Parts: sequence; structure tokens; C-alpha cells
Amino acid sequence: MTLRRIATVEDLHSYLHIAMQLEHATIPPYLTALYSMHPTTNADAYRVIRVVVVEEMLHLTLAANLLNAVGGTPDLSSEGFVPTYPAHLPDGETDFEVGTRAFSRETIETFLKIERPAVAEGETRFVSRERSSRALLPAVDAHEDDLHFYSIGEFYAEIGEGIRRLHEEMGDALFCGDPARQVGPEYYYSGGGAIVKVTDGASAAEAMRTISEQGEGLGGAIFDEEGELAHYYRFQQLLLGRYYQPGDQGGSPTGPPLDIDWDAVYPVKADAQLGDYAEPGELHDAIHAYSATYGEFLARLDEAFSGRPDLLMPAVGDMFRIKELATQIIRNPMPGQPGVNAAPVFRGLAPVEVS
Amino acid sequence: MPAQIDHAAAASIDYDVLVVGSGVSGAIVARSLAEKGLRVLVVEAGPGDELSVADYESYLTRFYGAAAKDNNAAYEVNPNAPMPRSPDVRRLQPGHPDSTGYLIQNGPYEMDSTYTRVLGGTTMHWEGKALRMLPEDFEMRSRFGQGRDWPIGYDDLEPYYRQAEFELGVSADVADQAFYGITFPPGYEFPMHGLPKSYLDQIIARDLDGTEIQLHDTTCTLSVRPTAQARNGVPNAAYDDGLGFIPVGAVSTHQVDEGGRCQGNINCVPLCPVQAKYNARKTLAASLDTGRVDILTQTIASQVHVGADGLVSHIDYQSYGSTTSPEHVTGSLRARRYVLAANPVENARLLLASGLPGSNGLVGRNLMDHAYLLTWALLPEIAGTMRGSQCTSGIEDLRAGGFRERHAAMRVSIHNDGWAWPTGSPYTDLVELVDDANVYGAALRRGVVDRISRQLMLSFMVELMPETSNRITVDSRYIDAMGNLRPVLSYSLPEYTMDGVAASRRISRRIFQRLGAEDKTHYDPLDPGYVAYQGEGFVVRGGNHWAGTHMMGETSHDSVVDVNQRSWDHQNLYLVGPGSMPSIGTSNTTLTLAALSFKTAEHIAAELTTRPSVTIGG
Amino acid sequence: MADDSGVLEAFLTLSATLTGYSRFRLLGTGQAEPYLATTLDAVGDDALGELLSASTAVHDEAAGDERALDQGLRARILSDDKLGPVARNVIKMWFVGTWYQLPQEWRDAHASRQPDSTHVVSPASYTEGLLWPTIGANPPGAKGQGYGTWSSPPTLDLP
Repeated sequence: MTLRRIATVEDLHSYLHIAMQLEHATIPPYLTALYSMHPTTNADAYRVIRVVVVEEMLHLTLAANLLNAVGGTPDLSSEGFVPTYPAHLPDGETDFEVGTRAFSRETIETFLKIERPAVAEGETRFVSRERSSRALLPAVDAHEDDLHFYSIGEFYAEIGEGIRRLHEEMGDALFCGDPARQVGPEYYYSGGGAIVKVTDGASAAEAMRTISEQGEGLGGAIFDEEGELAHYYRFQQLLLGRYYQPGDQGGSPTGPPLDIDWDAVYPVKADAQLGDYAEPGELHDAIHAYSATYGEFLARLDEAFSGRPDLLMPAVGDMFRIKELATQIIRNPMPGQPGVNAAPVFRGLAPVEVS
Repeated sequence: MPAQIDHAAAASIDYDVLVVGSGVSGAIVARSLAEKGLRVLVVEAGPGDELSVADYESYLTRFYGAAAKDNNAAYEVNPNAPMPRSPDVRRLQPGHPDSTGYLIQNGPYEMDSTYTRVLGGTTMHWEGKALRMLPEDFEMRSRFGQGRDWPIGYDDLEPYYRQAEFELGVSADVADQAFYGITFPPGYEFPMHGLPKSYLDQIIARDLDGTEIQLHDTTCTLSVRPTAQARNGVPNAAYDDGLGFIPVGAVSTHQVDEGGRCQGNINCVPLCPVQAKYNARKTLAASLDTGRVDILTQTIASQVHVGADGLVSHIDYQSYGSTTSPEHVTGSLRARRYVLAANPVENARLLLASGLPGSNGLVGRNLMDHAYLLTWALLPEIAGTMRGSQCTSGIEDLRAGGFRERHAAMRVSIHNDGWAWPTGSPYTDLVELVDDANVYGAALRRGVVDRISRQLMLSFMVELMPETSNRITVDSRYIDAMGNLRPVLSYSLPEYTMDGVAASRRISRRIFQRLGAEDKTHYDPLDPGYVAYQGEGFVVRGGNHWAGTHMMGETSHDSVVDVNQRSWDHQNLYLVGPGSMPSIGTSNTTLTLAALSFKTAEHIAAELTTRPSVTIGG
Repeated sequence: MADDSGVLEAFLTLSATLTGYSRFRLLGTGQAEPYLATTLDAVGDDALGELLSASTAVHDEAAGDERALDQGLRARILSDDKLGPVARNVIKMWFVGTWYQLPQEWRDAHASRQPDSTHVVSPASYTEGLLWPTIGANPPGAKGQGYGTWSSPPTLDLP
């Protein structure tokens, strides 16, 4: 089997665009689950998911730093950057879909699949399988349409290796990006891990390490070097009802119990589309206003990643506003569908409904 | 987690130091000593299940659900280790002490100051202003003929201020904070950049900056300056000679990560919901990381015992299992050094209850607190009040100068939370609009904006000199659920302070005139804290800045502790915290008491750390 | 009382008029049902039923005429000894999540029920109060708007 590895800087740009798209693609599903919880209930679960969202924002920023470092241009406002949910992960498996759904055991199981640890090494990280039309990754051409990564961790492993190979070939010319476009640690998020300015091979490796270790725990460790638990195991705690503590083996947490009320959740419409809110009225307006606000948030990030890192501060404010609008929507019933509540739709500034 | 040790185990360990109280003083002493290799036991009278976000958030949920959102509303009522609560304070009848609250109010002035008896102490509820004192504040007697001088000066304390600013995580810019004699070493930066001024601050600054106020011979030129705050902002990359600063997030023994920058929850008091604001649990958590600190909560130090040699021999404790039952067990704890860090009221109360008023009888005397005069008005424009941290800016220009020979200095805070403190806004405004103004619907929404978003509240923090008659005592008639003697407060506001209060009211009028703001200030003679003075009446509120009950000095004749906060009478006993301060100037006390705690820890460590013996040859 | 959904609808209609916030915004707080239950517990079936009937009648008769609605509301509810204090309590509850104890004269004349005491309906009702978005602020201790947002003019929610 011939595999198309990252061979050129353009390949690397494509991979990093995909990386940003991928990091972002997990955010609407995680946010929907988070927002669907009744207020002041499920505090443990809320915190667990919230931390993961915050770290996905960190990863998105690190991916932008990597892309900027190698002379690319982040683009979060392009059509197709936001996937239409439900969507499949790149390995094309049809046993699960990633969607915007209420907090439930099934939803957390899906999150576990998103964050599942890499198991394959070297050549076998690619799985040859027919791509689903709903795959998240193919919005940007990754050269080999029938090749897919088994996990997100392996996708990043390929980027890491690609950077190393190109760095060997090109030397420091690889890092030709404008350092002023780098976001620095002063814009830290409240989760673990620092923002790394990427300017050379070492800082690139550091950024890559944070992304892979925090996410899926590549290498099998449940805690990373900073003693931080990988996302996969964070989510797994919700199903197992117990916190991990240092020294634990995967699958057998021994920390304090988590208090979870799976019923203290609004039954929000799964994978809501703009088309579900065709009827004119306040709900319709709120859904569109929400989607537009979300688009403005992405546009602000775009600007922040293009030399205005200070805009990350108001972007955090945007996130709080987005949450407020989403929770209003989620507490409203879905007209004509008893027992179902409305759910926000994450499209963007110029929503185009894909049927 | 504090629960990892029990009392039996603690009794069997040879601790170097026993610290009573887990607030900022005790936490700093514990952490500093443990980092120097010493073994420390901290006992906390109040509850605190564990150092976790979940435990912290239980306080938040209690606050949300509390009908009266006073400054201790987040903390449960605990008869075993009670705390003063401002709603308990009543207008006193002359000659009739009021024992409604934990603190017995003997008058004549009713004091509504509080403190918090939980793990982390009053830093759980403090607002987070982290102000250095002015150099002249340390020399009140020699410069202004008032109060007392400190046995040390600003320059002596300056290195410890820097340590405190690191520990508390202070956000400020040096250029904004170097005023009226405050100096920093060349190249110094605060750990984090200053927090942005609120929109309200900017409106006030636009119209007020440059206004001149004459105080006797001193001309004060007003300007609105950002306030140094112990809450997370944007780290300053230039801090520590370019090493930068890593903000401390929420305290947790699990993997929960929270506690980023200040979000503007406008709830510093009684509880920052995201732990952007420093609280002593952050220092306690770091102290536990040394492996040399143990913490026992729900453990009340009930009696200090002194042997024939004048040294403390042991301290008795009472440990209760539940805040709803007085059932408890008792025992004794021993260590090489004893540190009382329970705040000025509780430190004095414990010593007095132990029959230790001091050889000069000064324990409990010279009690100080800032006197607060609140003044409020409606601005002519929408100012977006009720957003930000509680205060982002203030006026520092009334704090220094020759006028201090004549009356107290004052510091002004601009309150982003509007009239909440003096009037109970916005609740009272809402009730008035609905019940009295008879508006509803759209008119109500407009009315709410009109009444609340234009609010301006200026608090004048007025200094107070030590008086031996202002004091904490104990009285066997008043005991708590555990049988411990409750503190009895006798307090009056000296003329020096009241002249400052009267001047504050005049200045507030000038400011409101300058701003075109409608002065809505009024003082109700039926309110606690009402003081008639020179034909005018004021409601003066407590500042929660208790100080002075075990004042430091140069000799054992006129003070309780020395410059290292060591008891003159009992050489293995240290009384730490603001109780040691001979003056409080116009700075919130926490940064100064934190600096003093570092100084004391350094001293104790030097005392206890034996020099390593050197073996030559072999 | 009528079927539950009918009661909730009537309560929402009255609440929307009294607060100036739409049905969508009221439902968006998640507090409609707890507030209805709190009102019922505090004033009883009879007073609540009377309030909602009067409100439905006033709304029906006004038929979209704002002036008529205002007059009807003032004449038949807000100035009514029995219904006025309850309606005002409903407004306050939506704005700050607190049920205020009814005036003593109301309690003497109608009912003094144990749940009619001043209390915050629930921790969530506190954070969902409508007063805060009205003034472009957040309830103290919750929903902080983000670092530095306080340095810009407020985003008021004015009708």
C-alpha cells in the first residue's frame, strides 16, 4: 500500500487546516451537551466537559500557531469550515456519528470515540476504507481520498513527523511565518497547558505534544507530563462514575465518585438544522441570531490568528454570550414536537443549509 | 486534602510549628516554613471538606439560594465556630449590649464588620484590593503627631511586599501604583498587568481628573487610578526579570482546571465564582504539595497553656464532626513554635479566654478598622453600572499630606456594583419600581435601566488611630455552642476619624457637583452605625479590616509583639496578622499582613533551622 | 384548575405582559414552571385561578389593543386588593428570582400560607433573573461576561 505522507509545505498547510477544522468540529457537539444540562445541576459532569472544550480552544490556537509558523493562513470563515452535523469521523466508520446532542450516556460514548487513544503505530496509522460523505476531514483535500486515520492522535502523529521531515529537508526556512501572528502564553485559557509560540522545531514539537497528550493520550498514558488527564479518560469518568487519580490504570479509576444526574437534562433536538426552524417567529429569529453570533465569533478568531492576538480577550466574551443565547434556545420547546426542546444550530455567518 | 490526617495521628507527629487559623497569614507562614523543610500543622476552626472545586462551589450554590445576600451569605451558619454577620447588627440602646450576633456589641458604636471562619479564612470573601501602605503611614507619630510609629518602615517591608504580590498574584502596572512615596526597585513589574478600567471609571475620570480639593494646607489634585488587585489578569512577560508569571487557577486536588482571568462576576465579596480572585486555599494547596503540612479543619483552638517558664506548653483543641451538633472531642497539640493567625478578634479572644491578657494588659486593645462613609448619586448618563470586578479604580490623592496632622486621610473607591452596599440595590430599586412606581412591562425595563445603570457609589475609607479603649474583651456571660467565650466589642470613632468622615462627605458633594450627578446620599438615624457629629449625621460602616489587638512595637512596655510578631511575653508564641499593625493608613490591610507573614516566617525558619554541621576530613 | 398546559400558557401570557419580555425569553430562563408552582404554593389555587382568569379575560377583551390591555390590567388586576399584590410578586420573581412575602394585609385578608415567605425560588432562579440582562449586566457571582468586557459601554436590553 502506498501512502501519501506529508511531502511538501503545501501538504503541511493542508494538514494543519484540517487540524484546525477538526479541533473546532468537536466544539459544537461538546457545547451542546454542556448547555443541555439543567442549570446548577450536574456540576461534576459540567466541569469535566467544560475543561475539554477549553482545551480544544487551546488546541485550535496551537494549530493556528503551527500553521502561521510555517507560512500558512488560518481561515475559520470559509464555507465548510463548520461541519454539518451529524458528521462522521475520518476513518469512515459508520457505527457512530458526531452530532450536536443532549448530554446522555450515548453522547459521552460518542465523545469517547472522538478522543479514543491511538493504537496504531507507524505505517498502520492509515486505514484504507471508503470515505463517508459525511466525513469531517475531507473538506480540505488531503491527497489520498481513500486513506483515513484510525484516530485523531494518529493524524497528529503524521503532522508531527511531517514537520520533522520538512524541517530536516528545509532547515529553519520551514518556519518562515511572521512571529507577530503567534499567540503567546499571556492569552492562556483556564484549562491546563500553555499556549506555545511556534518559531522553530522545538516549539513546534512542544505545541504538538500538548495537543496529542491532552487529547487522546497518544502513547497510552492516561496522565501527561504535567499530570493532566487525557480527554478520553476525562470523558470515561462520566460513564464510570468515578474520578481518576494519579497512579490509576485506564478503565479503573479509584478517585472520588462523580455525581451525575442523567435526567437533569433538556431533551434537545438531536443534530438540529436551520431547516428545522422554518416557521417564522421568535425561535426562528433566535436560531439565526445564534448562528450569526457564532459566525462572528469564528471571524473574530480568524482576525486574532492573523496578527491580532489581543482579540482573543473579546472572543472569550463572545463565548459567554454564545452560551447565554444557546441556553435560552435550549429551554424552549420545539413547536409541534412534544417532549423535544429546541437546540442551537452552528453554521456561521453565511449559513448555507446542506441537505 | 486536609482530611488525610486525623487528630490522633497529628498528636503523634513532632511538628515544628502549630498554626492556628488557615487564612492568608497562617497559610503563608505554613507554606514558607514547609518550603524550608519544617513540619507544620494548621488547625482551622471552621469547615472545609477538602481543597476542591466542588467544595468551593458548594459555597457558591448557597450564595445563589440565599435570600439575604450579605457578605457572609456564602458561608453556612455554624454555631460551633460562629462568625459575625452584618445583618445581625442592630442599633444599640445606650448601656444595653447586644448579643444578637456572635460578636457582643458593647457600643457605643455598632460595628458591622465581619470575618469568615472557613478553610481559607476571610480571603474567601475579601474583595481583593492589594494596596501597599504609604511610607508616611509607618511614621504617623513622628510626621503628623498622631497614633504611633511602626518599629519598621516602608523600606524594611518593601521586599516582603514583593513576595506578597507574588503569592497573592497581583494585577497592576507599576506606573499606576507609584504615588505618594510608594517606590519599587528599578525594573520591578507586578506579576500581571493591571485590570482594565470599567466604563464607569472612564466616565468619572473624564470629568473628574484634575479637580483640586483643599484639605487645610494640602492641595489634592484628584485623578482616577486603576487599583492593584489580587485577581488573575494578563500575565506580565517582563515579571521577574523576564521569567514571567504563571497565574494560579482554582484550587483542586482533582484534574478540574478552572480559574482563569477575572470574568467580571462582580461578586468578589462574598465569593469569586471562578477563583480568579486570590484566596488562601491557593497557598494552602501549595503548602500541601511540600508534603510537610497537615491541616485539621473543624478544629477549634480553645485554650493556650503557658508553663512556669513563660513559654507556651500546649494548645487545647475541640474537634467537632458536624456543624449542626455541638458534639466534639478534645485534646492537646504541641509544637516547637506556636503561631496564632486567627485574625485580630479571634487571636485576642483566644488569649483572653486563656487568661493571657499580656503583662501590660494590651491584648485586645487598640482595635482598629477603617471607617467607611458611603456616598451615592445618579449620573446624568448611562454608565453601565453593575459590571466588572467590584472596584477597578479609585482616588489615591486624599491619602497623603500635611492635613493628616488635623484629620484622618481617606481613600476613595469607585464601586462598579453601584449602590448595592448602602441601599441594597438593585433589589430595593426593583421593589420600589414595581410596588410604588406602579410600572410594569416595557416601562419597567426602561425604569430599571434608568435607576440602576446610572448609579455611582463612592466609598470613602477613612483611617483610624489606635485607642486603648477600642477593644475586644471576653465575658463569662457570653459563650458559644462549644462553651467558648465570645468576643465582646467596645468601640467608638475618634474625633480624628470623624473629622475625616465629615471631610469625606464635603468632598463627595464637590465630586457630584463636578460630575453633574444627583446626590442621593442619605443617612437614616435608625440605622446601625449612625453617628451624629458637629450637627450632621452619618452612617459609618465597618471595613472588615480588623487590626491592632496585638500591636507590634519596639519595647515590651507598650506593645504585645516585636517586629517579627513574636510575643514579648511568650518567646515561642507568634501573633500574626493585622492585629500586629500599629497603624493601617488608608490601605486595605491584606497585602501588608501578607508581607508581615513572610517576614515572620523568615524569622521562625531562621530560629528553627539549625545550621548543618560540617565534617572535615574523612 | 384547568389542565396544566393551559394554566402554564395563561401564566406565560400574563408574565410576558407584566415583565415586558416575550414568551420565548421567559421560557428561555427555564423558570416558568418553578415560578408557577411557587405562586400556587404561596397564594393557593383559588387566588392563582382568579388571577389567571382575570388576565385571560383582559387579554381577550383587549384583542391586541395595547391601551385597552393596559387599562384592563390596571383596573382588574393591578389595583385589585387580592390580585394586585400577587401580580407584582410575579414581576419581581421574574426579575430577580425571589418570592417576596405578600403584604400583611393581604395575608390577613386571604391566606397566610407557609410557602409565602421571602425566599429565592432556587439557586438557578437567582442566576436566571431578567433584571441582569435588562441592564446589560450579569447576576453577581454568575455568568461573568469575560475579562475586560466591563470597559466597554453596556449592551442594554431595552424594548
